Amino acid sequence: MFPFRGLELENSSFPGEIAVNAKRFMFVFALAAGALLLSGAAFAHHSTAEYDMATVTPIKGTVTKFEWSNPHAYIYIEAKDDKGTAVEWTGELASLGMLARVNWKRDTVKPGDAITMYGNRAKDGRTVMRLEKIAFANGQELSAQVR
Amino acid sequence: MLRNRWKAPWKATLIAAAPFVLVLPAIFAQTANPANTAAVADLTGVWMIDQFHPALFPKGTTPPFTPWGEAQFKKADTLVNDPNLVCLPHGIPRLMFVPLPMEIFQVPDMVLIYEEAGNQLRQIHMNRGHRNDLDPTYNGDSVGKWDGATLVVDTIGFNDVTWLDHVGLPHTDALHVVERIHRADHNTLVDDFTIEDSKAYTKPWTTSQTYHLKPGWEIAEYVCDNNKYVYHEK
Repeated sequence: MFPFRGLELENSSFPGEIAVNAKRFMFVFALAAGALLLSGAAFAHHSTAEYDMATVTPIKGTVTKFEWSNPHAYIYIEAKDDKGTAVEWTGELASLGMLARVNWKRDTVKPGDAITMYGNRAKDGRTVMRLEKIAFANGQELSAQVR
Repeated sequence: MLRNRWKAPWKATLIAAAPFVLVLPAIFAQTANPANTAAVADLTGVWMIDQFHPALFPKGTTPPFTPWGEAQFKKADTLVNDPNLVCLPHGIPRLMFVPLPMEIFQVPDMVLIYEEAGNQLRQIHMNRGHRNDLDPTYNGDSVGKWDGATLVVDTIGFNDVTWLDHVGLPHTDALHVVERIHRADHNTLVDDFTIEDSKAYTKPWTTSQTYHLKPGWEIAEYVCDNNKYVYHEK
């Protein structure tokens, strides 16, 4: 019910708890990655509790709408599912102030652009994700997180 | 003779009282704090939290809840009843833990904290104590004084609408927050909190947040304008 509770612990660093074997190292690494994601700034008005913060999924599609608004900006793309059926995906971004600090602009993406959204999917199965970054058709990437 | 007998104790009393009469104004002057209003440290600049701490009590630690406090916490659901979902102000201390920058200004008689979150302005009054009969508000009534290079902020007068953190720590209108804000070094600001609310917690507890200086950053407009249809669209 309070997924942040676990991650909160990961945000603290206890030197005495350094991993002693590879398996544990991978576990700690995964937790640290989670903590890094959490330390981003996209959750000003609501929590990340609804997203699977442990997994980043790529979704490729064509932009249908870019909503440049607070407290979150949104990219809507049309993607294809396994059967080739069109599916609309929504990518949630940080607030405009935070996005501007990592070089996003209101015309960073435009309808018709082919992009890949990388993000944390909604746990409830909705085709919504919290964006970590996007990649343009030419392969150039743009982070959605302020480190 | 009679006159002398009367006069002598009076004189003695006056002499005995003199040091107090002379010293008391000095003591009062200090508590009324003109000496503490002058800024002795520069906290100005744009600051951003170093790490987002959604929960003020990390996993494995238990808040010292009263039965009422615990019952309220069990009802908290970040996806359902977080006051921030409908863009209400965060309240203190939560506002100071939001992952958005803040700018600190020091002006005569006030320290101002301009939060990007909702573009809220915290006023910390340096020239007065708490007013009597405060009308309850989201961010309360903050008064400050300098303790060396540390800004000590005392806040009361809260309503009971907000959460203390991002996962639902409850509070009542008895909430009392003391912050000790200081620069650990030029680029690092630390806010140490002591939280007291005898209706929700059996004893006071402490927490802390560190911020980094962000030269060149400007506070941006932040209006919680699209929740009404985007967030609730689902």
